[in-house]
Amino acid sequence: MFYREAGQFKTTYEADQALFPIRQDRIAMGLILAVAFVAIPLLANDFFLTSIMIPFLVFSLAAIGLNILTGFAGQLSLGSGAFMGVGAYAAYKLTSIFPDANVIVLVLISGVFSAGIGAIFGLPSLRIKGLYLAVTTLAAQFFLEWCFIRIPWLYNYNASGAIEIPRREVFGVIVTGAEALPLTRYFIVLSIVVVIAFLVANVIRGRIGRSWMMIRDMDIAAELMGVRPLQTKLLAFGVSSYICGVAGAMMVFFWLNAAEPSSYSITLSFQILFMVILGGLGSIAGSFLGAAFIWILPVFLRFLPGLFGVEVAAESIQHVTFMIVGALIIFFLIVEPHGLARLWQIGKQKLRVWPFPY
Amino acid sequence: MLYDIFIDPFVQMGAQPDFLIQVLWEGFVSGILYALIALGFVLIFKASGVFNFAQGIMVVFAGLTLVGLHEQGVPAFLALILTIGVMGVLAYGIERVVMRPLVNQPDIILLMATIGLTYFLIGFGEFVFGGEPKRMITEELWLPTGSTAIEFGERGLVLLQHIDIAAAVIAVLMVSGLALFFNKTRIGRALRAVADDHQAALSVGISLNQIWAIVWFAAGIVALATGIMWGARSDVSFALEIVAFKALPVLILGGFTSVPGAIIGGLIIGFGEKLGEIYWGPLVGGGIESWLAYIIALIFLLFRPQGLFGERIIERV
Amino acid sequence: MNAVTAAKVVPAQPVAAPEPEREVLLKVDNVSLSFGGVKAITNISFDIRKGEIRAIIGPNGAGKTSMLNVINGFYHPQQGTITWRGEVRRKMRPYEAASQGIARTFQNVALFKGMTTLDNIMSGRTLKMHRNFFWQVLHYGPARDEEIAHRRKVEDIIDFLEIQAIRKTPVGKLPYGLQKRVELGRALAMEPELLLLDEPMAGMNLEEKEDMSRFIIDVNQEFGTTIALIEHDMGVVMDLSDRVVVLDYGKKIADGAPAEVQASQEVIDAYLGVSH
Repeated sequence: MFYREAGQFKTTYEADQALFPIRQDRIAMGLILAVAFVAIPLLANDFFLTSIMIPFLVFSLAAIGLNILTGFAGQLSLGSGAFMGVGAYAAYKLTSIFPDANVIVLVLISGVFSAGIGAIFGLPSLRIKGLYLAVTTLAAQFFLEWCFIRIPWLYNYNASGAIEIPRREVFGVIVTGAEALPLTRYFIVLSIVVVIAFLVANVIRGRIGRSWMMIRDMDIAAELMGVRPLQTKLLAFGVSSYICGVAGAMMVFFWLNAAEPSSYSITLSFQILFMVILGGLGSIAGSFLGAAFIWILPVFLRFLPGLFGVEVAAESIQHVTFMIVGALIIFFLIVEPHGLARLWQIGKQKLRVWPFPY
Repeated sequence: MLYDIFIDPFVQMGAQPDFLIQVLWEGFVSGILYALIALGFVLIFKASGVFNFAQGIMVVFAGLTLVGLHEQGVPAFLALILTIGVMGVLAYGIERVVMRPLVNQPDIILLMATIGLTYFLIGFGEFVFGGEPKRMITEELWLPTGSTAIEFGERGLVLLQHIDIAAAVIAVLMVSGLALFFNKTRIGRALRAVADDHQAALSVGISLNQIWAIVWFAAGIVALATGIMWGARSDVSFALEIVAFKALPVLILGGFTSVPGAIIGGLIIGFGEKLGEIYWGPLVGGGIESWLAYIIALIFLLFRPQGLFGERIIERV
Repeated sequence: MNAVTAAKVVPAQPVAAPEPEREVLLKVDNVSLSFGGVKAITNISFDIRKGEIRAIIGPNGAGKTSMLNVINGFYHPQQGTITWRGEVRRKMRPYEAASQGIARTFQNVALFKGMTTLDNIMSGRTLKMHRNFFWQVLHYGPARDEEIAHRRKVEDIIDFLEIQAIRKTPVGKLPYGLQKRVELGRALAMEPELLLLDEPMAGMNLEEKEDMSRFIIDVNQEFGTTIALIEHDMGVVMDLSDRVVVLDYGKKIADGAPAEVQASQEVIDAYLGVSH
């Protein structure tokens, strides 16, 4: 009843092509941003910020990155974890080389490196399709992981083989390193994620987004409509890897403080993939929903037995979490192969016709 | 530099032929094991078009069940039979819970479902049997454990583990058994019909569900054999999972539907990987085994996008 | 039924003296194409003149679709040349043919199933849009103006094809006849010089065929677009087309005005079969 576009007539194509053509959607979006920027910082404690919100946002961004490649351009990738790693290591090297530069800018630049490497590994996609392409991305995953271990220059010859993020200040505020306040980190991460998500939404609804979807839906027809397959695919690989790279850099700079090669292993790639699948292929909102689901569910499960006063070994909980996540993936694929985003749309449709069923 | 890459490795090979043969033998054995994993993939892909990501985990799961049962005091051979039973139940369960509701979904959805299955089996396996590596009950299953040293030339020695020889023999037996099963039995024929066209197979009265349960069961048995062989060489643990990914390049080389392809692909990857690691690996600091297989497959793909045994793809509109 | 319609048409169209020769838009010379050992097209030559509706007919497997695939650069003939506006064309990729002004529809509808009708037709404008990535990211200024200008063109096409109501429906959900119409719209959005239609009326009922025929004639007459179409419905072919080329087993067996072709003994043999 409250969610209806009836009576909202668009008189210009501008209005019809706006990001949120329906007034209620605009209000909802405003509310979400208000909660994220005002309510959460006011109410949340450090644990909530560090263990839930920051990782959730970082993973959302990575999921958006993978979604561009897999959801919009239709190229299956199992290497997003490694591309995140490239971003992290690039940002780390940049901060060592330019210790005085603004670290936030460096994080944003680091994505360029992973975009380049992503584009290189995207080259075979012109000839190789579908599952075969998964092998290419697996090659990227394992090769890059090997680089993180075997090239000591990347981690400044640290004895531990890990990268540790030094303390850096921006305009006199500590933003990275162990002393940085969770709230500061949260604001930085949130801002970057919101801006990038907005920009991605723009690309998706324009010519470039359409040519990605054309390649996804029917590559032959797309080419006959004048889409250049190689350029378009490489752009998708590049943009996707850029975003994954920035997410990877944020993961270590604003969340973990330190990372080792195993932080960016194939497990991470799969986690991101699950977020995209569960959230919904080809949906930006879905990337957020998927990330929330995959990240927050295990956290929730960890505390669940405690609530009932039951003592369960941490290990068993981890195993049960694996089982539940696996089962849920299958369940969701059966119930709604298009992910949480589609459920959300169905919900909106129901609201629109409420109180009638049709 | 060029000398190091193109000449020196071959000089080394020539200088120590016994070592070269040892390396080739190692490559052969790991190739056989890759081929066995790939074989499980091929079975399922042939019959249902599903790329079963969980095959690698099924290997670990089968191995763990066998060892776990034995630890509970079940005699080895009874445990083996029980494990076969467990794989049967698993196959039926997968068909019932995962495959049947997802019939006719796009490939990528089915692939995702098997990734979900992988996660479920990892969690379930660790929950029941614990996460720590276990020793395979090799002797109890009357598998040979010793090794034979063969003298080679004047001073060379090649060491052959008996279990490796057994693995090769079992692999050959299994492949011939499967070939017979596919080509000579009624179920085999039905299976090939299903592989060609689901709807057409249904229309002549073949039960898809039954066929699928059978293939998953067959893949489960292949997984069990692989698990035993692999477990005998190292321990049974979920670390095997990472090795199972290597079945993917093997399949790419051999084509998703070809049994001989899986074998040959496995051998190419096995040989290539071991030779590369031993003779070229030191040039870049070693450890290249982790990605060499994928690069080999990638290079093959660039020249033959359809794999070694696939038919040439003619695109149509 | 085809025979009946066809018979009706013959007297209506006397074999007229050829009109003053129009400029040749596309010329196919001695083209041969084979896959492995299978010959799909053998030594075919014909031309398409500016502004005409050219039909390519023939029994199943005659090589009609392969011919279209050759014309828009999807297949490369082993022999022969293709001359586009007086220039011999080199080996090219399909997107280059598209940028030269060749658009087409497909035998089995090849729409982008995950996108809406509007987006599908907008996709036809891809080549006409030039704003680069950085404007696209901002979706502001030039990029937005461009998007809106093209939206206006697309809306004209939507009006022309009378598909306003399904503007925002994902095309996967549309019935077959409408999908064919959207596909025509997508090809029209490219503002092509030569429009290749591969069985635009396959699987349609009479009413839908009439609609589609009207659209084809309108496109040809209002926009002056040259059209080459493959069609099995003889009635439609005889009514619509200016000239017809007939293929059988990859060879050309007749070429000329509809009535001439219809009278050709070879064509009748090809369609009805002949005892050897």
